[in-house]
Amino acid sequence: MEVTFKDVSLSYDGSREILHRLNFTIPEGTLVSILGPSGCGKSTTLMMISGLLAPTSGHIFFGDEDVTKQDALQRKVGMVFQNYALYPHLKVLDNIMFPLKMAKVPKAERREKAIKLAKLVHVDDQLDKKPGSLSGGQQQRVAIARALAKEPSLLLLDEPLSNLDARLRIEMRQEIRRIQQETGVTTIFVTHDQDEALHISDHIMVLNSGKIQQFSSAETLYDNPSNLFIAQFIGEPVINTIDIEDFDDELTDHVDAEILKRAKKVGIRPEALQDHDTGADTLATITTKVKTFEKFGREKNALLDFHGKRLLTTEIEAELAEGQELPLYLQKSGFYLFDQEGTRIFGGDQDVE
Amino acid sequence: MLNEKPTLKSTGKALLYLLPMLIITITFNIYPILKSFIMSFYTKYDFFRDIVSQYGFDNFKFLFSDPDFHIAVKNTLIFVIGVVPLTVIISLAIALLLNRITWLSGLFRTVYFLPFVTSTVAIAQVWHWIYNGDYGLLNYFLSFFGVNAISWLESPHYAMLALIIMSVWKNLGFNIVLFLVGLNNINERYYQAAKIDGANTWHQFTNVTVPLLSPITFLVSVNGVIGSFKVFDEIFALFNGTPGPSKSALTIVYYLYQKFYTEWKYGIAAASGVVLFFMILLVTVFQLWYSKRHVHY
Repeated sequence: MEVTFKDVSLSYDGSREILHRLNFTIPEGTLVSILGPSGCGKSTTLMMISGLLAPTSGHIFFGDEDVTKQDALQRKVGMVFQNYALYPHLKVLDNIMFPLKMAKVPKAERREKAIKLAKLVHVDDQLDKKPGSLSGGQQQRVAIARALAKEPSLLLLDEPLSNLDARLRIEMRQEIRRIQQETGVTTIFVTHDQDEALHISDHIMVLNSGKIQQFSSAETLYDNPSNLFIAQFIGEPVINTIDIEDFDDELTDHVDAEILKRAKKVGIRPEALQDHDTGADTLATITTKVKTFEKFGREKNALLDFHGKRLLTTEIEAELAEGQELPLYLQKSGFYLFDQEGTRIFGGDQDVE
Repeated sequence: MLNEKPTLKSTGKALLYLLPMLIITITFNIYPILKSFIMSFYTKYDFFRDIVSQYGFDNFKFLFSDPDFHIAVKNTLIFVIGVVPLTVIISLAIALLLNRITWLSGLFRTVYFLPFVTSTVAIAQVWHWIYNGDYGLLNYFLSFFGVNAISWLESPHYAMLALIIMSVWKNLGFNIVLFLVGLNNINERYYQAAKIDGANTWHQFTNVTVPLLSPITFLVSVNGVIGSFKVFDEIFALFNGTPGPSKSALTIVYYLYQKFYTEWKYGIAAASGVVLFFMILLVTVFQLWYSKRHVHY
């Protein structure tokens, strides 16, 4: 089902506003991640979609229907909580059957359906166990099965992978993607881990301090960050950020003077600093001094000094000695200028031929 | 060290640490228990010189043929069956309500806890007046519903009911606090999950609150059963040192008290104590067995 927020705001005690006039539409059948740092309001947004929390103002639509006034009972969404919230006193099978029991589905049908779902999430060999004796990954699968049991038109996942170890996390995010594609249910996935969001979703909504920063595909977020926050938040290693004053006249001939005058911050992705001339892709050249040079497996990281500021690059081909002078070629893709408010005014697709 | 092997020295040291409490427990608990078990078999006993000249089962035989003891057992069972379920249900209901209100919640909690810290004698005096046949509040209240005046404490038909009502009320305070702790320990997430799963308020209560509260319910009921089997001071205080009109509130402990302190029949008193011990043991074992299947930790 399509989910639409219209000017939705939320404040907890009437004075402190947590979410400010959110407007977005989540298309039917897609997997959308809500991504943001801790305390940005992403879980709160999910709670409002589920109906566990009511917005202070604004309207929420499921399809064409205004559900703002409906509570969680009436909205009938499926939800997986961060700590799974499986009923500790019920066996796995009973946990999955619980929503069906509440919907007064006949017992035999309930069982059949629950077993089918358990197979879908690969926990059909654990049906008689209590949640306490399952591993984190298994609990998570049961929680997904329970959320899917009543065939919700909307599946909400609140940081479902945060309690798992690194390897299992990667496995489970592929599982979630598989289950979502098999069932075709519109899924909203809350996470603070950009890696998770980038790998799993069709679209990503980045939230910060209660405002939507950007809502687009993962690729667009990386290639065309709409502002400095997105540029710094997305990408590993983090984008190099320096002030425009740190440049002497390296940019003068390559960027429009009008734009240069408005620019405040410069963002350079670590892979946009090449040690060889790339011809048409090169925007400008700068001279730096090598501070440190490290190699781990395939990775080569060089920390450079540029007019007293530090720059990191991952694109060095030759071996470097500390203290040596190094000319670098700034690539057009991965170079951004931001104005006083942090909005991007140069770089991204529009400036790459 | 955590992985230290027990040696003679370390065991001796541990014993030294335990000794102060051990001395008190042995003197005031273990020894009297053993002594009363032995005493229940005294059939010929000269208590002036502490000489036992004969052991046997005569005391138990006497109990099984004593109509007073039959009354005592019957009354004790009525009291337990009357008090425990009512205490559990009412204190759970009040705890649920107290858990809901935020306004002056501290004050209300204190008010409900007060009976627990008040002396039984004081409580009994207050209820004595409430139950008063001519001027009592309870009869006054009942008169609004057209109920004729009841002589609560003087009629053998109502004395046990009066005792049960007062005991339930007295027990509420502590059990409410226990239930409140239990309710607070239930993670809000379970209720949210249940709501998402389509459970209305009643289904949330039966499917989340009741099963997750079962350890506390178990504690409260075991505690209540043991406490109720041992009831004595409420009776003594409410009926001014008598076991109620025509023995209508005579319980096992009251019987024991009478045999021991007024009739000096130590053997019989001890035997009735042993019978009470096995009754409590039986019920508690049953409760433990039941809890294995229905209590979720």
